[in-house]
Amino acid sequence: MKHVVLFLLITLCVLHQDFWWRNDPTPVLGFLPVGLAWHIGISVAAAVVWWLAVRFCWPAELEEGVVDSREGPAPRQDEIAAAEREAR
Amino acid sequence: MTLSVILAYIVILLVLTLFSTRRTKRTAGDYFLASRGIGPFMLLMSLFGTTMTAFALVGSTGRSFSHGIGVYGLMASWSAIVHSACFFFIGTKVWALGKKHGYVTQIGFFRDRFRSEALALLLFPVVVLFVMIYILMGIVAAGHVIENLTPLSYVAGTGLICLVVLVYVFFGGMRATAWANTFQTLVFMIMGVVAFVVITNDLGGPVKATETLMARDEALRAEVPGWTSRMVREGHYSELVFLTYCFIPMSVGMFPHIFQHWLTARRASTFKLSIVAHPVCILITWLPCVLVGMWASGELDAATVKENVVLPMMVALHSNEFLAGLIGAGILAAIMSSMDSQFLCLGSIFTNDIIAHYVGRDRYESRQLVVLGRFFVALIAVVAFSVALLKPGPVFSIGVWCFTGFAGLVPLVIAAIYWKRANKQGAIAAVLTVAALWVYYLPDALGGGFLLLDMMPVTTIVAASSLVLIVVTLLTPPPPSEIVRKFFPGKP
Repeated sequence: MKHVVLFLLITLCVLHQDFWWRNDPTPVLGFLPVGLAWHIGISVAAAVVWWLAVRFCWPAELEEGVVDSREGPAPRQDEIAAAEREAR
Repeated sequence: MTLSVILAYIVILLVLTLFSTRRTKRTAGDYFLASRGIGPFMLLMSLFGTTMTAFALVGSTGRSFSHGIGVYGLMASWSAIVHSACFFFIGTKVWALGKKHGYVTQIGFFRDRFRSEALALLLFPVVVLFVMIYILMGIVAAGHVIENLTPLSYVAGTGLICLVVLVYVFFGGMRATAWANTFQTLVFMIMGVVAFVVITNDLGGPVKATETLMARDEALRAEVPGWTSRMVREGHYSELVFLTYCFIPMSVGMFPHIFQHWLTARRASTFKLSIVAHPVCILITWLPCVLVGMWASGELDAATVKENVVLPMMVALHSNEFLAGLIGAGILAAIMSSMDSQFLCLGSIFTNDIIAHYVGRDRYESRQLVVLGRFFVALIAVVAFSVALLKPGPVFSIGVWCFTGFAGLVPLVIAAIYWKRANKQGAIAAVLTVAALWVYYLPDALGGGFLLLDMMPVTTIVAASSLVLIVVTLLTPPPPSEIVRKFFPGKP
């Protein structure tokens, strides 16, 4: 499924170039230039493809690999925020 | 009346943010990252509200007015693909690393990833400069909106916006910013639709508006040599420019304020709604603006009307004072929903990554560090406000150059997350390359835009930073094994 989603994303990028209506002012629905309508379709299609990515390609290890304990630098950040409260 | 409505909105906003501060805990985690407890809807509103700026409203309308509907394809539909890609591939990984290692800021992450104080000190002025240009864009747009909708001057408008945002950022921190973003994002989305409906109705409906424009286009073709309709992309952008604009939305991958929003997520799955819904939210915001700008080309004089004033002019011409106030508030909501995140992130970078890290432990008390942080943010605001008084160029052009700088840095974050061989020498070289090229071409960029090799300059800058990063990394020693084990556990 990852390959399908990747293929769809690449296809979207190609379709985005709009080789067909870039010089056509014909209005769709009486007011929307066809070139603009095409790109509205690209936006909607992007949402669909990203839904597929989230549904079928979500990296589950992101949630599994995180530990609750904090490591790393945190110099006096609690003191800084407490001082912010007092300063208000 | 218009001014009264706008001021009433500002009061509501300040009350909301003051209310949200009662829910803040007395911890740095809550002040800077809302205790890493932001849910899917508020994360979507924060990310979307932060990315939809003056550029999206004032900039897009003005650019559509001057260069036609192609601006939607340049930015909105490219962003539908690229922004979500950045959230999916970069945002979730940054969140996971931030949760695991306790990062509060972008510079803090890079300092630890590459174990380099030099990189942190180099990134700081570069990031501050780019964010300041971003803030400048918002201030300039707000000044034009207020000047064209109210009796206040451009100077008063720019000053008012700076003051309001600074007040609620200083008092509320990230949780107040998240609440303000949610509120303001809903306001500007709703008001965007309202503005569109009001203006369209006054033009006689969308069909009539387009018919009027098409008739005007016929007349203009005869009157103005080289006139090109705003209803097409042809004649405004070459194929190569249209293609290479894809690098501009990639800039979201290195926005420090977006980075900080990523860190606020409750869990990785919190990103899912943002990834899927972001393209639709962009559509809802950009489409009305592009249409209004397109129709404006049939009504306003393209030879004399500047891009920055098209949206407020159309609002003023086609609505009453009350509605103009509501719509003006919506536009300002979009602007402020980005500026607050930018100010907060600059304050947190300065306080955490510079003062507390290098100076604060022995020399200053915590209360003094807070004052220094606020002083720094206020200083940035004053500098940006001062530059805004010069009325530098179209909002769209300012935005594109700001985004170009950030896009040039994206190879750095990709390498940091995915390339275990990436080292501090390559990272430093890449940042220097981007900074040098960005500053060198800044005057050309603010003059209204330019091309390099017939492409968007961002292409050259991204290519240069990628190449330098890779070459310098491979010519210098690999990073220490402990860094590799820390950031790429289980991978030999």
